[in-house]
Amino acid sequence: MLKKEQNDLVTQTGPGTPMGDLFRAYWLPILLSEELPENDCPPVRVKVLSERMIAFRDSEGKLGLIDEFCAHRGVSLWFGRNEECGLRCPYHGWKFDTTGQCVDVPSEPEESGYAKKVKLKSYPLIEKGGVLWTYMGPAETTPPEPEWEFATVPLNQSFTSKRLQDNNWLQAMEGGIDSSHVSFLHRGDLNNDPLFKGAAGNKYNLADSKPVFEVVEAPGGLYIGARRNAEEGKFYWRITPWVMPCFTMVPPRGDHPIHGHFWVPIDDETCTAWSFDYHPTRPLTDTERQAMKDGKGIHVRYVPGTYRPLANKDNDYLIDREAQKAGRTYSGVEGIGMQDASLQESMGPICDRTKENLVGTDNGIIMARHRLMRAAKALHEKGVLPPGRTVEDMKVRSAAVILPPDQPYKDAAKEALIAKVGVKQTSV
Amino acid sequence: MLLSESARVTTAQEARFRIQSPNSKPRAVKVIALDSEAARLVDDISKQPWNGAAFFKSLSFEQSGGDNVKAWLNDLAGHTSDLVGEVANADCVVVIAGAGEDAASVSVIAELCNHYHKTLIALVVPQGSFEQDTVDRSLKALRPHAKMLVIAHERDYIEAMLTALRA
Repeated sequence: MLKKEQNDLVTQTGPGTPMGDLFRAYWLPILLSEELPENDCPPVRVKVLSERMIAFRDSEGKLGLIDEFCAHRGVSLWFGRNEECGLRCPYHGWKFDTTGQCVDVPSEPEESGYAKKVKLKSYPLIEKGGVLWTYMGPAETTPPEPEWEFATVPLNQSFTSKRLQDNNWLQAMEGGIDSSHVSFLHRGDLNNDPLFKGAAGNKYNLADSKPVFEVVEAPGGLYIGARRNAEEGKFYWRITPWVMPCFTMVPPRGDHPIHGHFWVPIDDETCTAWSFDYHPTRPLTDTERQAMKDGKGIHVRYVPGTYRPLANKDNDYLIDREAQKAGRTYSGVEGIGMQDASLQESMGPICDRTKENLVGTDNGIIMARHRLMRAAKALHEKGVLPPGRTVEDMKVRSAAVILPPDQPYKDAAKEALIAKVGVKQTSV
Repeated sequence: MLLSESARVTTAQEARFRIQSPNSKPRAVKVIALDSEAARLVDDISKQPWNGAAFFKSLSFEQSGGDNVKAWLNDLAGHTSDLVGEVANADCVVVIAGAGEDAASVSVIAELCNHYHKTLIALVVPQGSFEQDTVDRSLKALRPHAKMLVIAHERDYIEAMLTALRA
């Protein structure tokens, strides 16, 4: 459990909050490239870390992420005209470039120079791996650009999706760290989902619902190793990396693409669940890519024209109680992504952790919270930059291995946990 | 449009109506230092207010014929108690070992935890400058016995974990 003040510390990410400052120390995924598909396309509203902004791609392809509201009288620039290297407010014609600099105030003489005195807050917006990333911290401490493997392999080797989730970021992210729930919540999918089934390791998940955990600190966050019994006294390890503040990877199964998540706060009660799938050494097959588009694996199907899941709280997640009773799904909700999201949303917009009763197997979550709080306080109070910002921290992979009983996984799987170009994932 | 039940009950307003009564009884957590390094940490941590967690700084045991082992725990006030009774009455047992220290005594505790079906959590707490080999030795000794094994580089993690477990 956490005390109320601790829960507030880890869940509040708006401007000026300690955890908000922590998130602002990293590049964060905020849009898919497809949302700004071409030069001078319509602008898009973005809310991240409780800040409302507008994103656009100008006439020369430059990306802009600026305050949503016109400096004149507060009209939303979502209505803006994206033309001639800027976004022009349709109310009185004030125009802003991709840095937020006002470049035209039609009602004032150009010679007056008034426009130069007006500048909207803006953040850098870059494109990598089919995703648009922003950094909202001080310019002088800008970290290296994203080097996550999924964002650096050729685009035909990856698939990235996002979905809206109606709860605080942390209770969503904790689901990515806690692998003990897989043997319950997702058990119906291990042998049925086309992006999971057929892996030799699945049988260990299904045969052993009481994994034993080892949690070790990593330079960028944590490794959480879950071991289950394998043959001949050996252990089947599934190793999950967590890199601060909100990146996790699911250990691989067979030769299926490997996947993972970011959970990026929109505000304190909603977040964007980013899901990526990629194969380090080959293109995704048409079948794999179509399955991902169809909402298999960690992806979901959408309400058309939105990034809102089709199964959502407004339709009770399309729950099927017969499927639950028949054992086809454990919770009655279909699909791994929504199985997680439905339960996490049910905790309430911000989970009240003062009521928790944690057990030993929750140590991954306990340590993640501890590291987050420690890093947020150190940054807020002393300006100490948090872990997880270096290129080495980002070049991480998950792994699944079978080891003899006396081998520490962190040593035996050390190379497997590093992303290397042209090297396959380590999997069972 | 009528909201579905899921939509209505997951609002912040509805969160106000959660039952406020306690949803669990106090948990009996026994924290046992396996070596002198760990005993120093346990001594410090025990000084804070806890919800009934019991702290023990050492374990002694002797064979008493055949496979029988008699074991005693010494608490920080110097009182001795029977390990069997402490484990039998525990909800959870936490052992703490300094890196590289002798963790052989954990097998005695683990056997009792298995017998009484209690979860054993083991923390290895490297202190100061340490060799990775020493951490690995401790892990090797503890791994066969613990349901959850944690390397905690900062001692304040022990307090954070015990607080999280409502100890």
